[in-house]
Amino acid sequence: MTDLAERRDLEQVYQPAEDSRLLAETAAERVGDGDLVLDVGTGSGYVASVAADAGADVVGADINPLACREARENGVPVVQCNLTDPFRDGAFDYVLFNPPYLPTPPEDERDDWMEYALSGGEDGRAVIEPFLDGVERVLAPDGRVLLLLSTLTGLDAVVDDAAQQGLSAEEVGAEKHAFERLVVLSIRR
Amino acid sequence: MREDLMDIICCPLDKHELDLEVIRRNDEEIMEGRLVCTECGEEYPIEDGIPNLLPPDMREESPA
Repeated sequence: MTDLAERRDLEQVYQPAEDSRLLAETAAERVGDGDLVLDVGTGSGYVASVAADAGADVVGADINPLACREARENGVPVVQCNLTDPFRDGAFDYVLFNPPYLPTPPEDERDDWMEYALSGGEDGRAVIEPFLDGVERVLAPDGRVLLLLSTLTGLDAVVDDAAQQGLSAEEVGAEKHAFERLVVLSIRR
Repeated sequence: MREDLMDIICCPLDKHELDLEVIRRNDEEIMEGRLVCTECGEEYPIEDGIPNLLPPDMREESPA
């Protein structure tokens, strides 16, 4: 029996859904033994755990202290931080991110952690843009980003944002749903 | 926090190296401690095994 405090915490941490599974499967096909992997916005730690099962050394990062606690309980080494800010230059072979990508009108924004996990601001890209600004610094020379997106977010705009940072993007995974297509972009220098 | 994380983390503000000050550890991990930037001197806490590397102005922004 889950006590109330614990249940309240769970409701404030994004739990694995179709998008997490698509990103985890795509990552598991690519990462291998000895790869150092960062899972940004790790939430419950699900994607990080799948990548670790595939043989990689994985670190999770989340801005939400409740997510950090849950990921740690799920066996994921975790750092509370903003995006890739506290990681060293060139550290990672792969950076995984299932970002908040839902376009959300300002009047619908709630001020809680679940909103942080879901809302991408008015255009859906409020978190993706600063992520793309900073991620190149922490990628190893042949490093890759695996970024999950929805067609609701506007794929072309994200590919353009990446190009402005000197990064090229290609689609490496996709899944059709009722109102959107979920896509994994592989992004590299 | 496992000590080998020290190889990949840095100060979120100026990206310089961090010094580790251990307050309490168990066999595997540092449970309580501090990470101090060797350049700007900013301190980042490690609590319940989790390093908090948010810059100071973001530590108070938490909605929850």
